[in-house]
Amino acid sequence: MNSGNWFLIKSLCDLSFRQCRGWRIPPRRLYANATSFPDYFKNPIFRKEQQGKLIESGELSKLAAVPVKPPATYETCSVYHDPLVNKVINHVMEMGKKQLARSLVEKSFENIKRTQIERYHLAPTPEEKNKIELNPKIILHKAVENCKPLLQLSPIKRGGITYQVPGPITEKRSLFLAIKWLLDATNDKDRTVHFPEQFAWELLDAANNTGKVVKRKQDLHRQCEANRAYAHYRWQ
Amino acid sequence: MLTRNWRILSRQYSQAVTFRTNESSPQQHNEKQTGLFYTLNQDTCKSLFSNGGFPKSFLKQTKTFTETAIMIRQPALDLINCIKSTNFDAPVIRYVLYGEKGSGKSLTMAHMIHYAHEDGYLILHVPWVSEWLRRVPRHKEMSNSQTHEGFVDLPLDAAAWLIHFKTQNQALLKAGELKVSEEYVWSKREKTEVGAPLSELVEHGITRVKYACDVIYALVREIKTLSNKKQCKTFVAVDGFNSFFYPLTRLNTPTKRKVKPEEVTLTTTFLELTKNDWTNGVILLSADQLAVPDDHQESYFPRYLLRKKGFEHLDPFVPIEVGRYTEKEFLSCASYYRDRLWLRGPPETEIELKFTSASNPYKFMEQCAPL
Amino acid sequence: MSIIIKHWRSTGLPSNFNLRIWRLHSTNADVAAKKGEEEEEFRVLDILKKRDRVQRRVARRNDVQPDRAERMAPDQNWGNVWPGPKTFHPSSVPLPLHQGYVPKGQAPPGKKANAELMKIPNFLHLTPPVIKAQCEAIKQFCTEWPKQLNSEEAIETHYPVEIISSDYCHASPTIRNPLSRIVTLRVKLSTLNLDKHSRDKFLRLVGDRYDEQTDLVTITADRCPVKKQNLEYVDYLLTACYHESLNVEEWEKDKTEDDMEYYDWHKNASKKSLVQWFLRTNNEVCDLNDDDYVQYDVSQIPNAEGYEKAVSSLMNDGESEETVNNYAIAVRKLLGVPEKKIVT
Repeated sequence: MNSGNWFLIKSLCDLSFRQCRGWRIPPRRLYANATSFPDYFKNPIFRKEQQGKLIESGELSKLAAVPVKPPATYETCSVYHDPLVNKVINHVMEMGKKQLARSLVEKSFENIKRTQIERYHLAPTPEEKNKIELNPKIILHKAVENCKPLLQLSPIKRGGITYQVPGPITEKRSLFLAIKWLLDATNDKDRTVHFPEQFAWELLDAANNTGKVVKRKQDLHRQCEANRAYAHYRWQ
Repeated sequence: MLTRNWRILSRQYSQAVTFRTNESSPQQHNEKQTGLFYTLNQDTCKSLFSNGGFPKSFLKQTKTFTETAIMIRQPALDLINCIKSTNFDAPVIRYVLYGEKGSGKSLTMAHMIHYAHEDGYLILHVPWVSEWLRRVPRHKEMSNSQTHEGFVDLPLDAAAWLIHFKTQNQALLKAGELKVSEEYVWSKREKTEVGAPLSELVEHGITRVKYACDVIYALVREIKTLSNKKQCKTFVAVDGFNSFFYPLTRLNTPTKRKVKPEEVTLTTTFLELTKNDWTNGVILLSADQLAVPDDHQESYFPRYLLRKKGFEHLDPFVPIEVGRYTEKEFLSCASYYRDRLWLRGPPETEIELKFTSASNPYKFMEQCAPL
Repeated sequence: MSIIIKHWRSTGLPSNFNLRIWRLHSTNADVAAKKGEEEEEFRVLDILKKRDRVQRRVARRNDVQPDRAERMAPDQNWGNVWPGPKTFHPSSVPLPLHQGYVPKGQAPPGKKANAELMKIPNFLHLTPPVIKAQCEAIKQFCTEWPKQLNSEEAIETHYPVEIISSDYCHASPTIRNPLSRIVTLRVKLSTLNLDKHSRDKFLRLVGDRYDEQTDLVTITADRCPVKKQNLEYVDYLLTACYHESLNVEEWEKDKTEDDMEYYDWHKNASKKSLVQWFLRTNNEVCDLNDDDYVQYDVSQIPNAEGYEKAVSSLMNDGESEETVNNYAIAVRKLLGVPEKKIVT
């Protein structure tokens, strides 16, 4: 009871202190955006493999008693589902036109496939044929992997001069930068060339560790290496 | 229970399915080979289909697969059977292919043209009627016809078609047994005499583009008489025939008035050709939703697409439905795509694709594209 | 000098010095009035002389009598208490009524001084015993329900015309509603006993208002402001259509094949092409007129009846898989083409 009282008093003091200062207390939320479900709702598990694992480990019964959010439209248990592809489609999308974005990405996959099949048929020996990757999704994964930077530069101002200081980068930001650079390179295209074609070329180049985007990543790495003397500015 | 059904379905789809047949001659095709793919010779392809005949998406696929393969399906076999048992002394029988968008009408027609070519028919093939009446680039070459009052000519299209006719029937025209039976006077210095070979008439049309439409008209009349006299058997194939009966075209006269199909000379020519007042031939037409604008694409049945005039013109005709893939055909197609490296993934993809594409051949091809 | 001004502080009250100056300047008339005031009070301008006039006190009675509702016996004749439509009077109604929206948690307001209850029309003058008494009074002017109208079919045979109209009542002082002027008339077409030509003409006149599945003609009128007027209009419409359809006009002779509402195979191009084809198969020359085509006897041609039926059903019943299949089978038989093989 004492601790309960203490907690109450502390929160009240906290409240009153904040209100005196004129701050509006933001409500505590677990997600960045407002959702239509309260915070205690769990995320849905919609992949068959994950559901199988839950059944095996016996946790399904626990989850069955807990309220769960319904899955979104793009979260399917179908074979087509790939979270990275969905993310790329979302980044390509403008003005909420998901169908258009999806069709563009699918057409670029088709272009990748056709180019790769052509190369496959032109390859002389079976070893070379085996080296050629025909699945466009795997090429996308490889391309994104090759474009992910490992460090990032943050501008830090010391004594009137802004230094570009190299620092660590989170997984999410790294992935975001990779996709953004790929799309930037694609949109820098000729007027006569269509988006799916250009995107296919960029992805193929990036999967091969050549091309504009990989060069941009390598330039960033070089810059980080050059500026490593300023690294301690992060903690000053 | 759901997982058990899933497993059974997966097993069904993972078994290796034969999808090819070595029989490359359409005359030998029979029911045992339904659902199997047969490959066409590159030279035959070039001679028959270099100026049209295959849909554009199919041409892209032939380039990727490095071969031209057509599936042997029930409508084509039905047609072959009917043609084999026709009485060539009776007036020509007209067959009309109908079906949903993307169900395989044009490819069935291509299969039949190959059959006709093998069998030694004289082929008159119009790859896509809407190309003439609805595909209008910024400036369409049109001229007022001189022989028919108030009619409109399409000289370049007519010349292109004559080239197509020539390449398709090279062998028969070179043999030189088909002779012209009337004299045609084109101008003061040009005329085609009686007894000249048909190839000369065709050459004249190609070189003198101005008279191309009239040449086609004359050619059609000659071919009819030749067929009646049993000197050659004719196979007429027109894709998108219902475009001739749609009330408007996209053509404009210089006075910005829309032209009706009845005012185009090519229409009258091919309507003449498809009448059943001649013998010793086969007429294969197709009624396609894509040949008319989107407002009038409510149904795919022949009476609706051909409209009153078309139906009365063609009645009585044999309607042949080209439907979606059956189970066997679907599996065979999926295995072919896997073999050609177009489709990959676990067997469950096939189950999913079957539902999402509703076994429609074109949709299936479209949906395999990004996979 | 400036320093003195800077630090000078004025008091709210005028100093004695200032007051004496004012007093010297004031007139003699206010001197007497000011004598009663304190020296520091500010004078208030009193034009309306409210302070002199005495405010009348509102007299409130302490002895309010109890409501009439409390003195009512439970077995009284309510029809005498509330004989006709009247605004709600809470003291006369012995019911604990509550009406009105309140936020969550509060109780709805009671019946005393409740505007919500007074606004709406109440039907306290129409309780069941009162209505029963009224019906008993009217009964002497009524006749019995006819015994022969004892089933739906009997009613439909003898009274085929149905008039449908609505009355509306909602929470407002008026009982008027513009929607109550709409009148609908429903009648079955078979009861009108029309022959083929009149039926066709009637259907063309009536157009969309005919439902094929239920064979009902539904005519709605809402163009007049009063229900009675709409009712008369609807009756007029039915009468006019009926008599017009029985009439035959001169220009009806100009009706062509295109205007026909059903497909008659014998008068159409389909028969013509069949006959021409048949003559060509037998290598005869076709030199017939249009009339000859119509009268040509088709029974000579084998399988022509099936073909006729198939074409008629395709045109009349619309296009569907079934009709097109029938047509295909009929044509194959006619032309001698082998049947479609079903491949599994």
